[in-house]
Amino acid sequence: MNRFSLSVSAVIARVTESAFGPYQTAVIRIGFSLTWLLFLLRELPHREELYGPDGPWSWELARRLIDGNGAFTALMWSDGRAWFEAVYGLAVLASVLLLLGWRTRTMSVLFMVGVLSLQNRSVFVGDGGDNVLHLMSIYLVFTRCGQVWSLDARRARRADEARARGERVTDRVGPALWGVFGVVLVAAAGTGRFDGDWTVPAILWATWAAQGLWWAVGRLTTSPEPRILLDVITNILHNGALLVIMAEACLIYATAGWYKIQGSRWQDGTAVYYPLHLDYFSPWPALGDLMSASGTMVMIVTYGTVLVQVAFPFTLVNRRVKNVLLVAMMTEHAVIAVVLGLPFFSLAMIAADAVFLPTPFLRRMGGWVVRVREAILSRDGAAVPEQRDARTSEDAEPSRVGFTA
Amino acid sequence: MDAYDGGSDAPREAEAEAAPEPGTGRPTDMPSAKDPLPGAPAEIADARLRPEPGHLAAPAPEPRTGVAALSPRYQIGAALALAVVAIAVCVHIGMVFLHVAPSNTVSKTHGEAIDEYIYPEFEQNWKLFAPNPLQQNIAVHVRADIRAADGAERTTGWYDLSAQDGRNIDGNLVPSHTQQNELRRAWDFYVGSHDSDNRSVGPRSALSEEYLRRIVVLRLERGGAAGDGGVIERVQVRSRTTNVEAPPWSADKVSSTPVFRVLPWWSVPAAEAEGGVK
Repeated sequence: MNRFSLSVSAVIARVTESAFGPYQTAVIRIGFSLTWLLFLLRELPHREELYGPDGPWSWELARRLIDGNGAFTALMWSDGRAWFEAVYGLAVLASVLLLLGWRTRTMSVLFMVGVLSLQNRSVFVGDGGDNVLHLMSIYLVFTRCGQVWSLDARRARRADEARARGERVTDRVGPALWGVFGVVLVAAAGTGRFDGDWTVPAILWATWAAQGLWWAVGRLTTSPEPRILLDVITNILHNGALLVIMAEACLIYATAGWYKIQGSRWQDGTAVYYPLHLDYFSPWPALGDLMSASGTMVMIVTYGTVLVQVAFPFTLVNRRVKNVLLVAMMTEHAVIAVVLGLPFFSLAMIAADAVFLPTPFLRRMGGWVVRVREAILSRDGAAVPEQRDARTSEDAEPSRVGFTA
Repeated sequence: MDAYDGGSDAPREAEAEAAPEPGTGRPTDMPSAKDPLPGAPAEIADARLRPEPGHLAAPAPEPRTGVAALSPRYQIGAALALAVVAIAVCVHIGMVFLHVAPSNTVSKTHGEAIDEYIYPEFEQNWKLFAPNPLQQNIAVHVRADIRAADGAERTTGWYDLSAQDGRNIDGNLVPSHTQQNELRRAWDFYVGSHDSDNRSVGPRSALSEEYLRRIVVLRLERGGAAGDGGVIERVQVRSRTTNVEAPPWSADKVSSTPVFRVLPWWSVPAAEAEGGVK
């Protein structure tokens, strides 16, 4: 074999035998679900005005729009108040459970349903942050984002320990969840609720079928090969989705950067001055005045913004430069959160940036969190958790049967 | 995938920091050959911990996972899955790229196919403050014809709803979408579906009118504009566009005279005027 085919087979071996970036996918899972959760909680008092059946964008207006574009939203399944409240509540619940990594795959699907249901119901109240969450909630479904820092990982570890002691481990929650979702899917399809665009219903059916298959193969086959094959396919999907997530982040920066280059205000170095003086984006007018007091300062920030956004995708080939830009972009988004009053947009972008964070840093960060938790727990006199790191062999062990696929 | 820092030139000190504690797994993408595996318990010595393919000299005691563990029959299945996912990923990234890129040779030829793929769920727009940031404050004002409880008719003065939003955003760490996006984007929606003479262009113009009307009626109701027992019979909306002053260090001169755009009166359906919007 020549070198080329050797390296091709090495790449194939890697993308099939493992799900890349366990820490990166876990951190974006936590980041996006936390952003959406905080947003839902913040808008709790305004939920009816934004998404309710009698809000300014009424159910009837939404129906006329969605009849045309076929976007997926469970909120159009009924115009009742109770249904609206139930969907909003489920969206909150799915965010919490995805954040914790409980039945991660199922929750990622439910999270997607929550995000799309609310956002597609009222497309005219969203902004860039909603757009990021919209896309990422779909991509997350295809990842194994609960490999670390999740209740699933802890459950898998405990199951492994129990098996090592010779105990029998049976999972009842997984099949029960699967059954419930099956009933819901059949009911929704049977009553014509999936008649719009087919993308989201297809994802729902496919994940449901895949989980059933995963369980059946683990239960019913004696040969390990079907299980390994499913594991391989799951890894391939995960790695593909991770690539899409990274490409999406690059496209966001590239688009934002390259279009700016064409703008006269970005060229003459005054662009950053203007948003700071828009009534809708200046929660701290005094801060805006302060920041725009120096023309040189404004120009440096203006040019720096364009430079960082345009350069970022190209710096991925060099780890050190990439990390420097990553810090710059996260800082800029943190500043935007406060100065332009866009906290949820900024949080979503920071979460998206986090997919590029280096593994050693993420592991260290995980260590800090554990230490803080232990410090708090031991102060309360509670027992210290036995395990410091949640990473387990959950997904790599093909003999495992469960609903985490 | 260098973005994961999986390359072989990871800084030594970073590795030392991240050296696995006993009983701790190692990330996939840490270089494995430099520091030999610690005496890890058997259950974590899974496939991910094996040396990378470049370092096959190291022993690989565990049974293989991935395609190597499969018989040729199953390998075909894996190869098929790999091909399908690879194509899907390429198509998706390509479509999204063409969707966000400026109109070009390819997107003009295949515009319909791209739209068919992108809409409704993958629609996106990342021209954030680009090509130029907005340089005008656009405020939406509203006034109403009110029929009071005693039957008397009167017309209110103009209420500056955007100024209300602005006040609610001032000093607010977490502005609500109702304050920052609702009215602002409803106005954009209206402007986008009407020409400068307020004639409808496009099929969504009726939606935008009704949406804007419902927002202003809601705000008027909340503000108690109709008074006790009064009913809002008609509303009129206008916009007031003011240029942001040029920066003090700039030689640019912009007009500071506001420009108004006045919309026709809209009558308010009875149900809506009686608190139908929440």
